Amino acid sequence: MEGVLWYVLASSRGGPSRVRIVRALDERPRNANQLATELDLDYTTVRHHLDVLLENNVVDRSGDEYAAVYTFTDATRANWDIVEEILATVGED
Amino acid sequence: MTVWLEVALAAAGVNVLLLLALGSVWLRGYRQHGAQHTLGLLVFAGFLLVENLLWVYFYLLHPAFVGWFEATTTEVQVGMTMLCGLELVALLFLVRITWR
Repeated sequence: MEGVLWYVLASSRGGPSRVRIVRALDERPRNANQLATELDLDYTTVRHHLDVLLENNVVDRSGDEYAAVYTFTDATRANWDIVEEILATVGED
Repeated sequence: MTVWLEVALAAAGVNVLLLLALGSVWLRGYRQHGAQHTLGLLVFAGFLLVENLLWVYFYLLHPAFVGWFEATTTEVQVGMTMLCGLELVALLFLVRITWR
């Protein structure tokens, strides 16, 4: 999981945007629409990044697809110290 | 010129392009946040880039190497081609997850 988190958040093209999403979700669970508004990103961009995070088991989706709220998976919570290390390293963009 | 030589040269050339693309993402990331993980990938891309430039040089500009390649058996030609060809397949997977 550690390698996946570093790759998805620090070493891929969309990493900086996904870090912002993870920070926003850490404040409180939100849906894609709320994330788009909060981060001033395109809705489809947010959905793209959420799909990457879903495929890599970083976040979970609850509820139906459109209004679904995104939360962190158990795997991510178990590795939260690494997430914090990545967030501290990558910093604000 | 055998077809395998052309395929090997093309694979090495595409590898160079893919590594430049991957390297640009990792270099940008490393400049921004300086993470060890990203640096590791950057070093990896750097060495692989040198390797593939060497292949392009041999396949394109080294008459003695080209002469040997054309004179050897088909199974050796296919084997040599697979060195760059399989690396191309591996790099395509890496590009797919890095570009997202």
